[in-house]
Amino acid sequence: MNKKRDRLEIIHDILLSIRDKTGVVRQTHILYKSNLSHQMLVEYVGELIEKGFILEKKDKKKKKFYELTDKGFNYLSDYKVIRGFVDSYGLG
Amino acid sequence: MIFPQLSPNWFLGYNVALELIFAIVALIIGAFAFKIYKKTNQQQIKLFGISFAFISASYIVQAIFNTMAIIEANEHTNLLIELSSIVWFQMMGVYTNIILTIIGLCTLAYMTFKTNKTRILYLMIIISLLGIFLSANILYMFFLFSTIYLLVILVHFIKNYLENKQKNSLLIAIAFIFLLIGSIHFMISVNHQLFYAIGHILELIAYMLILTNFYLVLRK
Repeated sequence: MNKKRDRLEIIHDILLSIRDKTGVVRQTHILYKSNLSHQMLVEYVGELIEKGFILEKKDKKKKKFYELTDKGFNYLSDYKVIRGFVDSYGLG
Repeated sequence: MIFPQLSPNWFLGYNVALELIFAIVALIIGAFAFKIYKKTNQQQIKLFGISFAFISASYIVQAIFNTMAIIEANEHTNLLIELSSIVWFQMMGVYTNIILTIIGLCTLAYMTFKTNKTRILYLMIIISLLGIFLSANILYMFFLFSTIYLLVILVHFIKNYLENKQKNSLLIAIAFIFLLIGSIHFMISVNHQLFYAIGHILELIAYMLILTNFYLVLRK
């Protein structure tokens, strides 16, 4: 049985789904890739915007789409080290 | 109040060197935790960083005041001056060290509760410091409280290893077993000086394990 994902892993999956998509990233794409309920996704996306990991923008049709910030990219590139440190001390 | 000399004479100087090593290792871990916190914004990681910063500061204070006491003891030939200045340095060192260590250990123990009710943390710190400073044997109570908090912290790290069976989490659990045994030795050292030296050596093993884990994390 798979272990339940912790917050760091969920954030990683959301950021990864944004980074790996070519073109415009909408919430439905993140929802599909991150395997979360809609309510959970809204909470996580709100938090990630507030903490500066992602940007929420609107296109010409006023539809929302998302982009990674530098902080978001840094999180992904350092994820293995973050994971190693957090797992060592049970900080997740 | 005059505190008993915990260190055997032959160990004076070595204790300062070891305390500086512990301070550096704790500072590295604390600083790295803050770096991770900046990337993740996770409250637990911030608390972890704060606790290691306090623990590092406590070792630095301990090392500084122990050094000053040794220097004072070597410089003064007048017994009265010597005694009064040594007692002053010793008291300042012991009190500051107790406050910093207890704040560090309480923060680390609180971090393991995974709660955001900070009043619990303040209560833990206040009760511990009152319990220590109002007791007849301050040093003994300090080591007793430290041992209890280390036991709480160790339970968290053992649980973490059992849930997440990796070399890294095992190293940390073993390191905290050494810190706990070291703390028990410090408790005994109030009456037997040799245990103070043994306690330091056990702490050295613990901090080397923590440093090894840090190296393994960075190598990923």
